[in-house]
Amino acid sequence: MFFHNFLYSLKVLFRNKPLMFWSFAFPIVLGLLFNLAFKDIEKNESFSSFDIAIVNSEEYLNNPIYKEAYTSLSEGDDKLFDINYVSKEEADVLLEDKEIVGYLEFSESVSITINQNGINETILKFVVDEIESNKEMINSLIQKRLENNKYSEIELIIGEIKSKVLNTSVSLKDQTKDNISYTMIEYYTLIAMTALYGGTIAIYITNLKLANMGSIGKRTAVTAIKKSSLLLSSLLASYLIQILELALLFLFTIFVLSVDYGNNLLYIIILALIGSFAGLTLGVAIATLIRASENTKTGILIAVTMFGCFLSGMMGITMKYVVDTYAPLVNLVNPAALITDGFYNLYYYGLNDNFILDLILLLVFSAVMLLISYRGLRRQKYDSI
Amino acid sequence: MILFKTFWKIVNKYKGFIMVYTVMLVIFGAINMSANDNNMDFTSSKPSISIINKDSSLVADNLENYMTDVSDVKAIDEDSIDDAIFYRDISYVIYIPSQYGDALFSENPLDIEIKSLGDYEATLANNLLERYLKVQKVYLDESASEEELIKSINATIISATDVKIKSKLDTSSVTRATSYYSFANYSIMAIVIFIICLVMSSFNDKNIRKRTIISSKSIKAYNFSILSASLLYGLIIFILVNGLAFILLGNIMFSLRGIIYMLNSLVFIFVSLTIALFISTLVRSKEAISGIINVVALGSSFLCGSFVPISLLPDSVVAFAHLLPSYYYINSNDLLKGIEVINFSTLGDVWQNILIMLLFSLIFIILNNLIGLYKRRAS
Repeated sequence: MFFHNFLYSLKVLFRNKPLMFWSFAFPIVLGLLFNLAFKDIEKNESFSSFDIAIVNSEEYLNNPIYKEAYTSLSEGDDKLFDINYVSKEEADVLLEDKEIVGYLEFSESVSITINQNGINETILKFVVDEIESNKEMINSLIQKRLENNKYSEIELIIGEIKSKVLNTSVSLKDQTKDNISYTMIEYYTLIAMTALYGGTIAIYITNLKLANMGSIGKRTAVTAIKKSSLLLSSLLASYLIQILELALLFLFTIFVLSVDYGNNLLYIIILALIGSFAGLTLGVAIATLIRASENTKTGILIAVTMFGCFLSGMMGITMKYVVDTYAPLVNLVNPAALITDGFYNLYYYGLNDNFILDLILLLVFSAVMLLISYRGLRRQKYDSI
Repeated sequence: MILFKTFWKIVNKYKGFIMVYTVMLVIFGAINMSANDNNMDFTSSKPSISIINKDSSLVADNLENYMTDVSDVKAIDEDSIDDAIFYRDISYVIYIPSQYGDALFSENPLDIEIKSLGDYEATLANNLLERYLKVQKVYLDESASEEELIKSINATIISATDVKIKSKLDTSSVTRATSYYSFANYSIMAIVIFIICLVMSSFNDKNIRKRTIISSKSIKAYNFSILSASLLYGLIIFILVNGLAFILLGNIMFSLRGIIYMLNSLVFIFVSLTIALFISTLVRSKEAISGIINVVALGSSFLCGSFVPISLLPDSVVAFAHLLPSYYYINSNDLLKGIEVINFSTLGDVWQNILIMLLFSLIFIILNNLIGLYKRRAS
C-alpha cells in the first residue's frame, strides 16, 4: 500500500500543472533575473579611471614637476584619470554637469574643487597630496645632503634624489583568497528559497490527507489504511519532486549561469538533500499546525521563506553578514541562512566545522518541525465535520 | 457593503504576511540609519580596513597609527577577517608581521602582507599604504634610528591640499531616503499584489463567481465595491510605508523633497493595485498566483534597481527595465537624491516619471477590463 499510494501521490502532484510549472519555473526565472542584475556588479566594483580637469594657468604650464606627474598619471593601462585642460569657467560647467569628479587650480599651492564627498574625490585628493609630499621629500632630502656635501655637486645630488624618490617602489605580499565573488551568495539564497518553497508541495499533499481540508481528506480519514503509511508515502513523493526541482536548478545554475559551488560535490548534494528535507518538514508543520485555507498556508510559507531569504542576503548580500555579526542566534534558527551559509562555507573555505554545524542545525530544525507536526496530526478524530 | 466587508475579512487573514514584509522594510530602513552623517566640508572617504599588527616596534605602531588616521579601521577577530572581506564589511587587510621593525634595518626586511578586494576602497587603501611605505623606504637610508625615521615620515606624509565643495546638498540623509523608498518598491509590490491577488482569487472561485453573477447585485456595483476596498487598502499601505519613513528618516520627510518621495510612492501603490487587479483577472489558478507574484515583485525589484543601484546594472538590463513601472518609481527616487533645489522646474523628470506610471496604470486597467470581458463572454 505504501508504494501504491506513493505512485498515486506522484501522479496527483504531476497532474497539478500550475503547481508543478511554477515550482520548477519560478527558481529558474529568478536565477535568470539574478544573472541579469549581477553579472556586471563585480566588474563595476573594481577601480576604473575617472575624468578630472586642470585649469590652464601659467603656474601649471611652467612647473615641469606638476606637468610630468599629472601627465604620467593619465597615461597607460593603469591610469588613474583622464585630464581635460580647460579654463576655470569651462571647468565649473563640467563639474556642474557631473562630467568630471573635480578640477585642480594651481597658484602658489594646488587647490581642488569638487561637487561632493566621495571615493573618487578622495582618490583625487590623495594623488595631489602625494605629489606635494614627493616635492616636500625631495626638498628635505636635498637640504640634508647639502649639509654634508659641497655645493658644486648640487646638480648631481638633485638628480640622484629625484630619481630615488620617483623610482622607489615597495612590494606587498598579497594573500587574498581566490573565491571572493560575493554575488554567489545570491544564488545560494536562491537554492535555499527553492528548498524551502518545496514546502508548498508538502502543504498541498498534506492537505489532501487532512479531513478538515476537503472531501479527499475526509475519505482518507475513514479508510482502514494506516494514516502514517499514507502520509509518509505522500511526503516521500513530495520530497522526490523537490529533489528533482533542486537538481534541475543546480544544473541550470552550474551550466547556464556558471555558478561556483566549490569542489565538494558530495557535500553539496548532502546539503541540498538536508535543505530540501527542512523545506518539506516546514511545509508539513504549517499544513498541520495552521487551521486555514490552502492559500493562507501557502501565503505563510512564502512570507516565512522570503523573510528567511531576506535575512540570508537575497535582497542585499551584506544582510547575512550584518545578522551574523549583530544577532548571530537569528540565523542559527533560520533554515534559509543555514543552507546559504553551508554553500558559502563550501565555496569560500571548503569543508570546515561551520559547514558541519549548518548541517546539524538544519537536521535539528527538521526534527523540531516533525515533532510539531506529529503532535498536530496524532489522534485526529472528528465526530462530525 | 457585503462585498466590501468580505474583502476586509479576507485581508485580515493575511495580516501576518503584511507584517513580515513591513518588518523587512523596517529592518532595511534601520540598517540604513547607521550610514554616516553628512558633512558640508570635505571629508575624505575612509576605506574600511582592518590591521593585524603582530609587531610592537615603533615603526609598526607608527604605520598602524597612520593607517588608522586615514582609514576607517574596524576591530575584527583574525578568525573573522575572511568573512568580513567576503561580505565587503572591509575591503583591505594589513598584516604587519612580528619582528617587522627589527628586520626593517637589516638586510632582509619583511614584507607587509595584505588582503584586498580590488575595489575603489581597496585601491585607495593600497595607495595610502604604498605611499607610506615608499616614504619609509626613501628615508630609511638617511635615518640612523627608528625615532629619526618616524620623525621624517610624519613630517612628509602631510595632507594640506585645499578642497572646495560646490554642492550644498545634505547627501547622506537623501541617500538614506532614496534607499528606503527604492527598497519599498519590493515591499509595496509584495504586499499590494500578493494580498489583492489572494483576495481576488477567493472572489474569483468558480462557485462564488457563479453565485455573484446570478445575484441581484449589478456588475457595476460589484466592481465598485472591489475597487473602493482595493483603493482603501492601497491608502492604508501608503500610510504604513510613509509613517515608517517619518520614524526612520526624520527631518527630510518634513521637507518638500519628503512630500515628493511620498507622492511618488502613492502613485506607485496605485500602479501596483492596477497590476494586482490585472493579474487576478488573468490568472485564476491559486497555485500559480504565488509563483507569478514572486516573479513580478522580485523580478521588477532586481531589474529596476531596488536592491542593487541601477548604476551597477548592465545597460541591456536598464534598457529592458524601461518597460516596467518600477523603473520610473525608482528613477524618481534616484533623481530626488541629486536635485539640489526642489521646485516645479527642477522636478521635470520626476513629473514625467509620474505621468508614465499613471499611463502604465491606465494600460493595466484597460487590459484588465478587456480580459475580464473576454473571460465573461467565454464562460
